[in-house]
Amino acid sequence: MKKSTCICLVVALLACVAIPFAVHAQDKTIRIGAMYPMTGRAGLYGIDSVAAAEMAIDEINGKGGVNGYMIDATFTDSKARPAYAVRVATRYITEDKVHFLFGVVSSGVGLAVTEISRQHKTIFIGTDHASTQLTVDKMQPYYFRVSNNTFMSMAAGALYLKERKATKDWTTIAYIGPDYAYGHDQWNELKYNLDRLGVPYKVVGEYWPKLFEPDYTAYVTSLVRDKPDILVSGFWGGDTVAFLKQAIPYGLLQRSLYFHPDAGGNYELMSAMGDELPAGLVLGARHYNNWPDTALNRNFAAEFKKRTGRFPTYAASGAYVGVYAIAKAVEAVGNPDDTEALVKALENLKLQAPWDPDGFTSYMRPDTHQLKKMQAIGVTMPNKDFPPATMMLGDWKIYKPEDVMPPNDYIKEKRK
Amino acid sequence: MTNDTARRISATSLWTIIILIFALVPIVTTSAYKINVASHILVWGLFAVSFNMLWGITGMLSFGQALYYGLGAYSVGLMVDYLGSGWFLPAIALGLVMVIIVSFLLGLLVIRVGGVYFTMLTLAFAQLAWQITFKWYDFTGGDDGIQGIIPPGILENRIVYYYFVLVIVFVSIWILKRMAYSPFGLILRCVQQNPARVRFLGRRVRRNQLRVYMVSSFFAALAGSLMAGVDSSIHTDMLFWTTSGEAILMSVLGGLNQFFGPFIGAAIFILIEDNIGARTEYWPLIIGSIMLVMVILFPKGIVGEVLRLKAWFGKNGGGRQP
Repeated sequence: MKKSTCICLVVALLACVAIPFAVHAQDKTIRIGAMYPMTGRAGLYGIDSVAAAEMAIDEINGKGGVNGYMIDATFTDSKARPAYAVRVATRYITEDKVHFLFGVVSSGVGLAVTEISRQHKTIFIGTDHASTQLTVDKMQPYYFRVSNNTFMSMAAGALYLKERKATKDWTTIAYIGPDYAYGHDQWNELKYNLDRLGVPYKVVGEYWPKLFEPDYTAYVTSLVRDKPDILVSGFWGGDTVAFLKQAIPYGLLQRSLYFHPDAGGNYELMSAMGDELPAGLVLGARHYNNWPDTALNRNFAAEFKKRTGRFPTYAASGAYVGVYAIAKAVEAVGNPDDTEALVKALENLKLQAPWDPDGFTSYMRPDTHQLKKMQAIGVTMPNKDFPPATMMLGDWKIYKPEDVMPPNDYIKEKRK
Repeated sequence: MTNDTARRISATSLWTIIILIFALVPIVTTSAYKINVASHILVWGLFAVSFNMLWGITGMLSFGQALYYGLGAYSVGLMVDYLGSGWFLPAIALGLVMVIIVSFLLGLLVIRVGGVYFTMLTLAFAQLAWQITFKWYDFTGGDDGIQGIIPPGILENRIVYYYFVLVIVFVSIWILKRMAYSPFGLILRCVQQNPARVRFLGRRVRRNQLRVYMVSSFFAALAGSLMAGVDSSIHTDMLFWTTSGEAILMSVLGGLNQFFGPFIGAAIFILIEDNIGARTEYWPLIIGSIMLVMVILFPKGIVGEVLRLKAWFGKNGGGRQP
């Protein structure tokens, strides 16, 4: 008797827990399940993304939502751990019944989450991770990326180097980047694009410090010895700051052109280094606070500053555009429940983003689900409009999306 | 009824209840999330129990069981990725054979030293395997991991795969339990308490240490290979030292000296991570505080303390029994 009572009790308890308490009535809500790292070295990217996504949601809901639907987003710290992110994504889909998965900074986490998105046929909007794989060989119908991938940055970088050859000849090149997929992808894609453009170059050094390496002295001295004309860097975040601070005393940045096309131009670097940031570095990023000089971009940076007390890093723009992409798709379809129609709408997405110069609108490439946008590369120069930064980028070189997107034969080769 | 029979019945009913709870999960809920969490608890439970064979029972604190957990996962992931999902089950078997060989060879090296040196050596080998997996992009996919690991045939169904995991995990735990309470298990406990006396009794310390190291590694690898199918993706984190660390935390939380302690520890750890992690990014602070309280106030772990409480009540209530 005692045993059976016990079992009955356990079963009853389990049933109580298991009955989906998150049964959503047909309320008019667009539910977004977002995952960002909120702590650790990538924490700032997550915090800025959340702030910008909330900003976009408030703007849209403030105007009455989309077709009467209000946007509601839940944010969870993905801790940059794929196995945990898989559980969070599954919970979002099956418990919270979200219409969209959203976010992710690390490509490793992005690759794990895109698998869940595919299995559950739930749309996943990528806003910051850059691995080209997600839109090329690992692309699946329910994944869309609104921020750029490393290929686009490196293709723009190769074009920049080609143009530079015409004005100031260079022959030798060296690379330093973090020793994980992101670092390797950038270097491989830059070389691929230089070869594609027929730019001759000679590699004089390749260095792979580990991610979050605190001491770059040995690498700096080797690079000083290698004397490359162009020093390509693939760091992100605090690693760029640490490397530059350690490279300056050795005069490395005077001997070689510091060229950092994917994450170097992130506002994070300018605000962290202030006066210490040398002029004449060639940097690129996914979004700039001072380019393009459009009302939309100025408003975006100013509003973000008003909300958070600081100017945004590039991660913010991805999340902001991601929310607007969802709103546009729902607006076109009329509701957030018809996933297949939403996929079609996203494939035909056209969206005015803060990173769009006048006369250009970002649009989705249907065969890769990668948003096509202009790429810009600039040079550091004094500019005190965005404190605490005292140096910003200027002297822009702009590249059209059709020149920087992965070519068809590249995609075909990778998808084999 | 003798005390022994009573104890056996109560242990059997505890087992029945736990298996029943897990078996009922897909019946009472259709939520893929709850099935996923239950699968995680089962797999981590097996990993933690196998780890505890080394630490709790034999007193060998390995900080490198993630090596075998990861090897199990990567043998399945790589074979499915390169050869197709039909290789899922053969890959589990091949991975286990490989782990038997690797754990035998490594075991010969690491058991030669005791105490903290053993811990450091196991950590070193695991980190070495992690580095290789992390850096060998062309073969392992590096830190991007491997995705799209779908079990073949009927196992592709989430619920069927869940029951597949459930059966393997409980059969494995049953085998480990039989082992822990066999004469072999008794010698392992002696090895922990007084290795010199084990030698006087004519038993070989190192041979038994090697055996339990291989047994623990075998089941850790089995857990890893099952995990590959649970999440459909694997990652180098599985080989990283933090994975070994989590198994240690689970064992401490559940109770080191209790056979079933680490399983309960794994369940509680995962539930805390999921429920508190959904509300705040500071969940490590909470699990840290819980661990602090556990270690200082309840060193026997959850299962140990519950049993102590039960024994205490039993003693007090004993007088009323006829």
